[in-house]
Amino acid sequence: MVDSELLGMFDIENETPKSETRSPEEDVLEELVDELSLGLCIEMHRSCKIGMFKIEEEDDEALKDFKIVDQPGLDVFGQPPLKKHLECVCPSCHRNLAASRFAPHLAKCMGMGRNSSRLASKRLASNTGKLDSDEDDERDIDWTYALQPTRTRRMKKEKPVVTTLKKSKTAKFGKNGDIPSASSTNSDGSGNGASSVKVGSSGTPMYDTLSLEDRKRLLLTTCGVISEHTKKMCTKSLRCPQHTEEQRQSVRRYILGLETDDRVRVRPDGTVIDPDDIQVDIDTYEDGDGQALRDSLSRLRQYETSSSGNPSPTDSTSTTYSNDGQTKKRKKGPKLTQRKKKRPPPLRLVQSPGGHGDVTQYDIANG
Amino acid sequence: MKASINQTLIESGEKERLKEMLRNKLIECGWRDQLKAYCKEVVRRKGLKHVTVDDLVTEITPKGRELVPDDVKKELLHRIRAFLAQQKELTSDKIPY
Repeated sequence: MVDSELLGMFDIENETPKSETRSPEEDVLEELVDELSLGLCIEMHRSCKIGMFKIEEEDDEALKDFKIVDQPGLDVFGQPPLKKHLECVCPSCHRNLAASRFAPHLAKCMGMGRNSSRLASKRLASNTGKLDSDEDDERDIDWTYALQPTRTRRMKKEKPVVTTLKKSKTAKFGKNGDIPSASSTNSDGSGNGASSVKVGSSGTPMYDTLSLEDRKRLLLTTCGVISEHTKKMCTKSLRCPQHTEEQRQSVRRYILGLETDDRVRVRPDGTVIDPDDIQVDIDTYEDGDGQALRDSLSRLRQYETSSSGNPSPTDSTSTTYSNDGQTKKRKKGPKLTQRKKKRPPPLRLVQSPGGHGDVTQYDIANG
Repeated sequence: MKASINQTLIESGEKERLKEMLRNKLIECGWRDQLKAYCKEVVRRKGLKHVTVDDLVTEITPKGRELVPDDVKKELLHRIRAFLAQQKELTSDKIPY
């Protein structure tokens, strides 16, 4: 009866009613179902062509094989629990170790950790002996280069050059964000202990550039023990618990006595003896750094030609200083290459009787 | 007649609603899974490389029709009827005769 009513209604709208075997609702329903199955067909066809079909099929079978096991006493894979302790292979000595023992072993084997640092330093020292003979030539250049700032550090003019050099170098390495300001305070000679340590923290040779008074002041305020690995000084207080009193004393002996050591070593035979015979840290650092220094020199030039406005006043003073230092550096550039070819010049410089403080790089370049 | 019903359904948006409802119901009752399994069977028979959409449609559509459960069919029919009746009232209000 409803159907007939409906038909009547649509009769009014459509002049030519069709005689249907099925009711219109069924038609609609069928159409809907067909649309859905068409959607499914297209989806399946797509998955066939894309390759998903295969994957899904395999997945079905795989699911049966790898069903999660839910039984007491077994894990989800159906295996009884084993007592298995993990083992690690030491990258240094290739021994198998229990995971729980791995960290302490690494500390001993690779020289990490506090107690083993001395052991490791001994080992390094014995290793570097033969390294020296191999790379003697390069080392010489580097060292004569590194020694010059030491000799001329008391010259007021020369100082900023060194500091800006450091600045660019540290900027290159990107180790400490606040280096520029620290180095500028250092150049003023008014830097407190902590900041000057930061300057030096990128490498031991930095201490060369500090005057004896600066070093003393620095060591009076900080622990100062040079780390075996980072080659940085400890910036903590004098009673820093990480380092022993012994270590502190040895570092003080080293840093305050380094200067005289150098002189003694340089003079007698007329050759520059690598101070790394005494200390490993400097050597390893300088070794890789010779090229970096030269790089930073060229960078420095670029930097100074480009930088006109500096944010901090201390910075600007250091850069103005370094402008006249830059001319010296420029003269030094070709000189360095000369030295590569013939060694005598740096030696002459070292032996010059005028005293170390008097010999500037300028003189050397001319002589 | 059929076309006019269709038009009313589409214009009012009821068709989409019905379709969505039907889809949910068919998924719920497992029709989709059954049909999919059958689809897979067809694909396997024809070969994965050679199967076409037309093949699938001709095989799947009749199967899909017969697989629809009766209660779903009934409910949908009821709903369509109710809608059409409602439409009729509206139209009779609008067009007095």
